[in-house]
Amino acid sequence: MLIHLEDVYYTYETEGIEALRGVSLQIQEGEHLAIIGPNGCGKTTLIRHLNALLLPARGKVTVDGLKTDHPKHQAEIRAQIGMVFQNPDHQIVGMTVEEDVAFGPENLRLPSDEIKKRVTEAMSRAGIAKLAGRGIENLSGGEKRLVAIAGVLAMRPRFIALDEPTAFLDPAAAGRVLDMIDRLHAEGVGIIHITHNMAEAALTQRVVVMREGRILLDGTPPEIFGKAAMLKQSGMQLPQITELLLELKEAGLPVRTDIVHMKDALDQIIALTGKKQG
Amino acid sequence: MYHTGSFIRGRSLVHRLDPRVKLSAALVFSIFILWVKPSLALASGVILLFPALISGIRPRTLVQAIKPLLFLIVLIFMVHVFFSDGSGEAPGGQTFHGLSFSRTGFQEAFWVVWRFLCLMVAAILLTMTTAPSQMIAAVKYFLKPLKKVRVPVDELAVMLLLALKLMPILLTEKERIETAQKARGYDASRSGWVTRLKSFSHLTSKILTGVFRRADELALAMDARNFRRGERSSLVELKLTSSDYIVMGLLIFFFIIFVALNSHFG
Repeated sequence: MLIHLEDVYYTYETEGIEALRGVSLQIQEGEHLAIIGPNGCGKTTLIRHLNALLLPARGKVTVDGLKTDHPKHQAEIRAQIGMVFQNPDHQIVGMTVEEDVAFGPENLRLPSDEIKKRVTEAMSRAGIAKLAGRGIENLSGGEKRLVAIAGVLAMRPRFIALDEPTAFLDPAAAGRVLDMIDRLHAEGVGIIHITHNMAEAALTQRVVVMREGRILLDGTPPEIFGKAAMLKQSGMQLPQITELLLELKEAGLPVRTDIVHMKDALDQIIALTGKKQG
Repeated sequence: MYHTGSFIRGRSLVHRLDPRVKLSAALVFSIFILWVKPSLALASGVILLFPALISGIRPRTLVQAIKPLLFLIVLIFMVHVFFSDGSGEAPGGQTFHGLSFSRTGFQEAFWVVWRFLCLMVAAILLTMTTAPSQMIAAVKYFLKPLKKVRVPVDELAVMLLLALKLMPILLTEKERIETAQKARGYDASRSGWVTRLKSFSHLTSKILTGVFRRADELALAMDARNFRRGERSSLVELKLTSSDYIVMGLLIFFFIIFVALNSHFG
């Protein structure tokens, strides 16, 4: 499965904001991609194009060859690409966890037995099976986020696009959400992940940097975070590990700065100090 | 946060009954309580205590649910006490601050309030013991024949679900805005009527703006999860069990007895 955006332009007519200005991008089956960039750079607008919530004013978006602006393709595209919104309160329709997770399969007009099967499966994949009958108003922010993801999983999508899935969560809840994203990716689900957290972006396979409605950079995390000056100029931070290595380099140590994982950074520092890991 | 009539999870017989049986029983009871003679209305109300007791819902919770409507109950009572004509009664009744009232007025007020309370308890019991999804499935079942005349029953069911969801959202939004106002030093209880009225209109417009924004986002999220016009399937599968048939039999039995008694005493 391939998601293909070709020279996509989009303008919010009421506000007169040109949110996308000629975006071209290809996303492969099973890829784990992070989209980063300052507020208002078009990240959310971009992912909303992937499952036909927004249609390009110019250019085209295709999913497995199906054009998103064709009304007959939209149901199929939305079943294949699930969307998790930034605020779960704006996404959850049901009044209990189980009811909400069932909303998507109900829209797919599946028989009751199949809906039950999918709901049980999705809740267990999201690690919220024990919350099945709980009222939504009694859930924590992290639990709501997992319910929103389970609601998408119940439609068995091949891709999930997540808009800042760890925003406003405490570290423990954010960790649970990230672990689940990793599990889903390991199961073969493609992940498109908007984030402001550079450490999260560093853990993906590919990072797309956006600025003013355009794609500024596109590459692997080491390639992207190796361009520290360019990122800083665009108002973005670097992963703490990259920052540390840059400081060390500035202090005169011969370290590589295109490292984004803690283990690689440690290996390098240990090699420099001449000690071996125990 | 507690909201009037919110569903309370439970495993009682009332909880386990088919929502269609509960909804029909509540509807028939509501018509019945308004129609029968006072003595039978009293008996019906007493019978209502039975499902209330076995539902496992604490009496305190029921009272709490009725509390927000206490003002309306008192108002209905007063109107009937003071504005009942008291025909057939000896002249020269009591007065209170220039308003006259009679024994008939009191009696009438008592029965009206009793019937009103019975209606409320029945409705609260129904919503507290029936999950919204079950209720919607029952409504959808009864509206099904209207599909033949192109009534969008599935859309109506989703609208009902969203309306049920909106109630607590409105209250939360109101509380959020009031807290924000208090945090900036505004206290409605210390202001005059004009200021309060202005503040109320400000609060209403804020709530509406917030709710509309949220509704827009929710509509988009529903689209993302493939919501389309037309038929939808349902997680809830409605099946009548032996307890449903027994309860239906008992309801029909009581209904016939009460109709017979009502016409006998009439």
